Amino acid sequence: MATSNIIRDVRALRVLVLHPQDTHAEELLQQIRRIGCRAEASWPLPGSLPAGVDVVFVEVKETMPKGLDTLFGGETQDRPTLIGVAGYENPSVLQNLLELKVDAVVTKPLRPYGVLSSIVMARRIWQEFRAVDKQIAQLKDKVQNIQKVSQAKFILMRLHQITEEEAYKIIRSQAMAKRTTTAEIAQAIINADGILGNISTKKIIYENNDNANKATGYDEVDS
Amino acid sequence: MGRLRSADAWAVGILFSRTGVTSVIENSQFNGALLAIEEINEAGGIHGRPIEPICYDPASVVSRYGELAERLLAEDGVNVIFGCYMSSTRKEVLPIIERRNALFFYPTLYEGFEYSANVIYSGAVPNQNSVPLASYLLENYGGRFYFVGSDYIYPRESNRVMRNILRQGGGEVVGERYVSLEAGAEEFASVLGEIEALAPDAIFSTVVGTGTVNFYRAYLKATNVHKRAPIASLTTNEAEVAEMGAEAAAGHITAAPYFRNIKSAANSRFLERYHKRFGTVDTVTSCCEAAYFQVHLFANALRLTGCMDTDHLREALRGAEFDAPQGRVKIDPDNNHTYLHSRIAKLDEQGEFVVELEVRRPIKPDPYLVVPALNDWNFRLTPMKQGLGN
Repeated sequence: MATSNIIRDVRALRVLVLHPQDTHAEELLQQIRRIGCRAEASWPLPGSLPAGVDVVFVEVKETMPKGLDTLFGGETQDRPTLIGVAGYENPSVLQNLLELKVDAVVTKPLRPYGVLSSIVMARRIWQEFRAVDKQIAQLKDKVQNIQKVSQAKFILMRLHQITEEEAYKIIRSQAMAKRTTTAEIAQAIINADGILGNISTKKIIYENNDNANKATGYDEVDS
Repeated sequence: MGRLRSADAWAVGILFSRTGVTSVIENSQFNGALLAIEEINEAGGIHGRPIEPICYDPASVVSRYGELAERLLAEDGVNVIFGCYMSSTRKEVLPIIERRNALFFYPTLYEGFEYSANVIYSGAVPNQNSVPLASYLLENYGGRFYFVGSDYIYPRESNRVMRNILRQGGGEVVGERYVSLEAGAEEFASVLGEIEALAPDAIFSTVVGTGTVNFYRAYLKATNVHKRAPIASLTTNEAEVAEMGAEAAAGHITAAPYFRNIKSAANSRFLERYHKRFGTVDTVTSCCEAAYFQVHLFANALRLTGCMDTDHLREALRGAEFDAPQGRVKIDPDNNHTYLHSRIAKLDEQGEFVVELEVRRPIKPDPYLVVPALNDWNFRLTPMKQGLGN
């Protein structure tokens, strides 16, 4: 990961401070602006985040306001980098920091030192999680595709009495001819098999499907 | 300096090393601060009360700065301190100043990335000196640079900034070396060997302290005066040039907000008084000038507040302006650093700095600039008109 870019790009960040208007918020805003980021404050909590916000500093207390959950409670994928502003370090506050899945914490009384480091560390963690999320999604996709292809292979093997290798060759050449992926072709074969199977005697198809499932070793057939 | 305090004086702490590796420059800063204090006192003090400096010598030992700052605040009861040259010493003093909510004046260029509400910074940060210097060198000498610096935070960060700017301008860093603060001829021998082998277009030096004089002298010995690449620096100053001699200094370059031979009424007055007080102007440097105008800025603030309370003084200082020897300066209310002039000067055969280029207006300090832009219009330099100052 290009971590040096995190430092270089710090000044391009748009930062939002969600904190009651007081000296802490003022101090924090001033330091963020001194660092050179675009910073704005919003309080009370807005219904939704303004578009294009990269980093959000948010006050975290022992009670979690309802609005906070709507803003950050969902999936973390599309969420900006989140930095908690904590007044106390007691377990209730810490628990809320964990539940919000903040990327870093700054503590009150706020001091100028550490704000820049927190932003940088939070960005690193945030980037890493985005990268990991993406990788997991890609791997999930890959596993599903392998599943589909092997299911399609077994359908072809059963229908045409051919070997696994021959079945795969058919799927691949179809994919090449139609300029698509083997997974797409496999899906099409699975779909067709399902429809054709329904037209003939249902009972037999169910049995066959069961056999196919046993043969592939997978329980789920998504067709 | 006596420790006897008159009851009605405004006591301030002075923390510059009179001895040790950084004593040349810190003595210069000490003189600047002292001169300003004496000027103010001669003019009747502030609200009829003189400013009384309480001075300690940390002897260039980093940990001593913290101890003596503590002593100034706790035992001597001062609330305002002027002092420090190296960043490492400032970092020693900072937590003590903050804990007691005192006010600290730091009259030295440094690497930036700091802000404390309790500090007034009046030296240049990289956007005020590195960027103009880099553009000047690229334009006049070429793109192959060699970096040599003392081994502590300022040179390393300063080199990071310089490397970034040079890359933007198509330049490259062909070598980079760090030496100890006390580096002598032996330590520089291998550096000079490398410089000879690599034949860079310019050497960017962040060597500070006594190492500076040793380096320029060793470079003189090792190379042909007429063919050598210039040493460019942000710190090498009049005091060090006086020590190393004109021959070792000739042809080298420094970027700074102030040089001794700036022609202005404020500078003439300053030099005249300095000469009268110390018998020479050889020790006048940009850091000396910074210490001098900081004391005046403080005195003006004190005149307004009439008390030494930190919060009141800070309010009075933010946005405050002063006709310094370098020209008009102003404390930036956004970050407590100072709007400063930027000049590039070359040393002539007599060892005098000749200002070649300067920016038209004081540059706003930007202590958190990660990647300075080489082509920022703010840093555009204009050649000096012959015989005319600002």
